[in-house]
Amino acid sequence: MKRLVIVLVAVVVVAAAGLAVTRSLRPHLYAGTVLQSPQPAPEFTLPAHTGAEVSPADHRGDIVLLYFGYTHCPDVCPLTLSSVAKALDQIGDDAERVHLMMITVDPERDTLEVLGDYMGHFDESFLGLSGDPDEIARIAALYGVFYRAGEGDESTGYVVDHTATLMAIDPTGALRVVYSPEIGADALAPDLKELLG
Amino acid sequence: MRTLFPRWARWVAATLGVLLVGVMAFAIFEPIQVLPRMHLAPGFALTDQSGDIFTSEDTRGTVTLYTFAWAGCGDECSDLDSTMATVRDRVAAEVDLGETEFRLVTMSFGGDAIEDLSAAATESGADGEAWRWGVADPALAKTIIGSGFRAFYEPLGGGGFRFDPTFVLVDGWGVVRGEYRYATLAGTDDRIVRHVDVLAQELRNSNGVASLAYEAAHLFLCYP
Repeated sequence: MKRLVIVLVAVVVVAAAGLAVTRSLRPHLYAGTVLQSPQPAPEFTLPAHTGAEVSPADHRGDIVLLYFGYTHCPDVCPLTLSSVAKALDQIGDDAERVHLMMITVDPERDTLEVLGDYMGHFDESFLGLSGDPDEIARIAALYGVFYRAGEGDESTGYVVDHTATLMAIDPTGALRVVYSPEIGADALAPDLKELLG
Repeated sequence: MRTLFPRWARWVAATLGVLLVGVMAFAIFEPIQVLPRMHLAPGFALTDQSGDIFTSEDTRGTVTLYTFAWAGCGDECSDLDSTMATVRDRVAAEVDLGETEFRLVTMSFGGDAIEDLSAAATESGADGEAWRWGVADPALAKTIIGSGFRAFYEPLGGGGFRFDPTFVLVDGWGVVRGEYRYATLAGTDDRIVRHVDVLAQELRNSNGVASLAYEAAHLFLCYP
């Protein structure tokens, strides 16, 4: 009987150890689309609502989350930005190494002041970026983003149809993961931890 | 007979050994192949041969083959047109893309009038649905084609262009999965059709447990 108990305990211990080793060795499965051979993210410098000229390169060694949206966006932008804010809450102190930049696709209405008010609703660290419309169009094209002003109503004004992907630039400055706008905080937070290493 | 290790340790070692051999076999023999996820395709809004606007968002969820030319290209681009038409026909006949559509886009280097674009599209066999020709403002076209798709071209005098013939295969998430810049012993259309087939297999297995095997293939760089 005693021998049986010892064997059972040994089996449980070995199984638990095996499971732990397997989990630690298992590669992280990202919730977004991973670019296997990540290449340097297209460079740009734009004025932020803080008054500073900012570039993803300013945060080499950290993660930059890049998003193209606008403050009159009725649905997808606030949802995505809220998810990012919640994900940052979940990763604790590591959130200091994650920098969200939203480049406006509506530079006509989104002044830096307007962007500052809007981004503050989600997280004080979020940066709203604007600039010359031609330069924004160039940057958007390079990041696979299309946008175009469409019709709206009296309450919202015109709306802007736009690609709403969220992109993660890793600590080496490479564009690494692309997320659909429906990404939730619970799925995003582990990816951010993994990217930070 | 006494052994150095107890039986359970040998079982654990054997299990780990089998796992290791399995992983190595997967990496070496590549039972599943995938196309690399290279980089994001650029975003764009083009005017097509009918004067309608179509955008990169319209290609979401489809597998799209791009090439780059201009309306006045004539014989110089006949190989491009012929490859596009061949790939279109062969993919329709040979590849099971499931519910995913296959589209083709010939993107102009810019400056073409719609009537010229329409004539060139008709000449090439583009139907305006599965295969469209599109043109953007020349300055933005340079960003889209030159920087975004990384296809070289430069204007010459007299409205012509010097260019490297290029095809780019993009998946439904807007990620470039294949770039074809020169002919090889395997014809360009052969390679593209084979790659569309590899992509189709991945798309058909993109849900459930099978998707894990395909992610593993990406991890081990099991590329054709």
